Amino acid sequence: MNLNQLYKNLSDRCKRETEREREGEPSRNPLMAATTVLGRLSSIPNLSPKPKPKPYRRTTPTSVSVRAQASFSDPFVLQLAESLEDSLSASPSSSSSSLPLQRIRESSAETLLSIPWPSRKDEPFRFTDTSFIRYSQIEPVSTHHWNSQILDNLTETHLPNAVIIDGFVSNLTIGPSDLPDGVYFGSFSGLPDELTNRVSEFIGNFDSGDLFWSINGMGAPDLTVIYVPAGCKVENSIHLRYFAGETGDRGSKKLPVSNPRVFVLVEEGGEIGIVEEFVGKDEDGYYWTNPVLEVVVQKNAKVKHSYLQRESMAAAHIKWTFVRQEAESEYELVEVSTGGRLGRHNVHVQQLGPDTLTELTTFHMCVNEQTLDLHSRIVLDHPRGCSRQLHKCIVAHSSGQAVFDGNVRVNKYAQQTDAGQLTRSLLLKPRATVNIKPNLQIIADDVKCSHGAAISDLEEDQLFYFQARGIDLGTARRALISSFGSEVIEKFPNRVIRDQARNHVKCLL
Amino acid sequence: MAGVNLQLRHAYSIAQFVPTISSPSPSPQRARLGISPSRVLFCNLRATSAAAATLRTTRRSATVAASSVSSAVDSLVGDRDDVGRIPLLEVKDLRAVIVESRQEILKGVNLVVYEGEIHAVMGKNGSGKSTFSKVLVGHPDYEVTGGSIVFKGQNLLDMEPEERSLAGLFMSFQSPVEIPGVSNMDFLNMAFNARKRKLGQPELDPIQFYSHLVSKLEVVNMKTDFLNRNVNEGFSGGERKRNEILQLAVLGAELAILDEIDSGLDVDALQDVAKAVNGLLTPKNSVLMITHYQRLLDYIKPTLIHIMENGRIIKTGDNSLAKLLEKEGYKAISG
Repeated sequence: MNLNQLYKNLSDRCKRETEREREGEPSRNPLMAATTVLGRLSSIPNLSPKPKPKPYRRTTPTSVSVRAQASFSDPFVLQLAESLEDSLSASPSSSSSSLPLQRIRESSAETLLSIPWPSRKDEPFRFTDTSFIRYSQIEPVSTHHWNSQILDNLTETHLPNAVIIDGFVSNLTIGPSDLPDGVYFGSFSGLPDELTNRVSEFIGNFDSGDLFWSINGMGAPDLTVIYVPAGCKVENSIHLRYFAGETGDRGSKKLPVSNPRVFVLVEEGGEIGIVEEFVGKDEDGYYWTNPVLEVVVQKNAKVKHSYLQRESMAAAHIKWTFVRQEAESEYELVEVSTGGRLGRHNVHVQQLGPDTLTELTTFHMCVNEQTLDLHSRIVLDHPRGCSRQLHKCIVAHSSGQAVFDGNVRVNKYAQQTDAGQLTRSLLLKPRATVNIKPNLQIIADDVKCSHGAAISDLEEDQLFYFQARGIDLGTARRALISSFGSEVIEKFPNRVIRDQARNHVKCLL
Repeated sequence: MAGVNLQLRHAYSIAQFVPTISSPSPSPQRARLGISPSRVLFCNLRATSAAAATLRTTRRSATVAASSVSSAVDSLVGDRDDVGRIPLLEVKDLRAVIVESRQEILKGVNLVVYEGEIHAVMGKNGSGKSTFSKVLVGHPDYEVTGGSIVFKGQNLLDMEPEERSLAGLFMSFQSPVEIPGVSNMDFLNMAFNARKRKLGQPELDPIQFYSHLVSKLEVVNMKTDFLNRNVNEGFSGGERKRNEILQLAVLGAELAILDEIDSGLDVDALQDVAKAVNGLLTPKNSVLMITHYQRLLDYIKPTLIHIMENGRIIKTGDNSLAKLLEKEGYKAISG
């Protein structure tokens, strides 16, 4: 059965159900319908044998909550889902789309049926207003724009790299000696047969995502895979550069959305660095990037993830990073985000074994009328995990806002966890706003956890120290502001990226 | 010259002598003043010339005459006193309060520092020593409510802290603040170039500056990796003080105010720092150091020692004063 038809069927039926409900008719549970249909779908041969973790709603009919029904169909979301689906059928690459990708689409389709567009009443979006996306005319990018202009203007990078335009890998540059044997970097469809199953086993198994996770799942035109075999230490980082090829404009409200998706699997003892860079090519490009990165770090493996977000100041950027860490693995994230009228990064780190190390070091800077948001969640379920989190933000505009929700869950079996979290914010203009919510949920009883939050202007004492050495106040302020961020920027493992981030931040000040 | 001029005028005005002094014999008058109620004030006003009492000559009368008609601070620039010394810093009846609490800390400080002199200010905790040094460099926590500060003939109170620094005033902080994210090297380069700009000279890029710096590092006995560390971040007490002196060595200053550079130093570090300061002295540079201990004065020999109490300088003398203090405590002086 054609997925498209199936989905159409499904959503038509949902609409009918809703209408019926509105008219007061007793309704057959449409969600059940959805799950049965999809249940059938997932038994398609060749699909990985591992069952999906069951969403709570699949268990029994009675467990379908009233709320799920009430919020069941947001017509806007349905319409969006449809247009995403249409865009995929129009895209040539979808014909060859792989099974895991199909599976992601199916489960996303299922989820989209029951999630409404978030409002400020929903806790995760309490301070993050997504209405400008909601009231734009969202148009999924359907065609693969080969924007040679972007490719021409690229600065050279010596790393193996991919240029991803509107979610399509447009240019893949891997030098002969860049990657060791056995490492795979490219589209899922090009993956050697023996790896297909190994990789697809992990793809899409995440049930804590929100609407935007599912929108990506529904609309991702391709899946880029980075695979590092056991024991392989990749010297050069892999550099992913994302651009929006198609931009709308504020006047016509046309908002092209793209859904890049990357999956990383590092097997036991492997090591790799991944650099993600999101670039807006013009200052007021109006578009929406909705990327997802999934990372699986197996036993004793290490991933260093660098993320530099400098989208255009009119754009929306909502990113998901989902990391699974097995025993003794290390995951390190360094982030610098400055772009977007709305920029949001959701990080979810799930611990799957003991003795893991997780380090999140992030820096957000609002110099415009913009909201930058970090929602991080570290879930520790095993003993002796260690997590270090530092989040810094600067708000240098009176209508700028920074949001931070940092959740650390130390569950029952996560004894001897060492979890530290610190957030510092600088508010440089009157009415500049930060909304900070550090939250630790600790169930285990033998743990070491700390958190702290500081919000201030620049320190008078520090400013005076500069002045006392003959440096004027303006220069002193600039130096202190850029030094505030450099604590994070210095953490970028790659020197080129470090310099780039430093210059970028300097230019904005 | 200027210093004497102002001081006298002030002393006399307090003693209500003003109209009569332009007459030829100031010495006897001084003697009389020495026992008058204004003795204390007079003593420290005359601190510097008292040390050179033998050289007092008739030139003074002319000065006094001038002072009675002139209040223009600027006219004093370049004036020499009777021994040919050029005043660098002249503080007159300086009063200052803490901005936040309006509590008065300085209650009329008077002090003159001539070129090439080393002055030490001692006093109990809370007597106003550090406040005095901070007020001199324009710390925003304090507000000057009276008196004047003249540095090289310019009114210091009209100047921003950075202008004071560029004019040649340097204060080493008692506990210098950490500046995470700014490397020592960058900080020094910024400060150095600010100075070059002021002088209209070409600025140095980091590479040129580095070679300039390396020679200065030896002065304070520090390794080059010191430069890559962030300003004062994670520095030990000794490193912080050395760093302050390094800044002094790099930036240079006509008047260096050293606020307790001996506190928190072990003997070796103290010697290093003292050696560095001595090495930086020239016949034109002056030092004003604030200390609690005689020990520092063994290494850096002061011209004069002032004792501060309750926001005023109550006594001025030579090195023997410090020795007395060391032996008998502040009781011996204030009591």
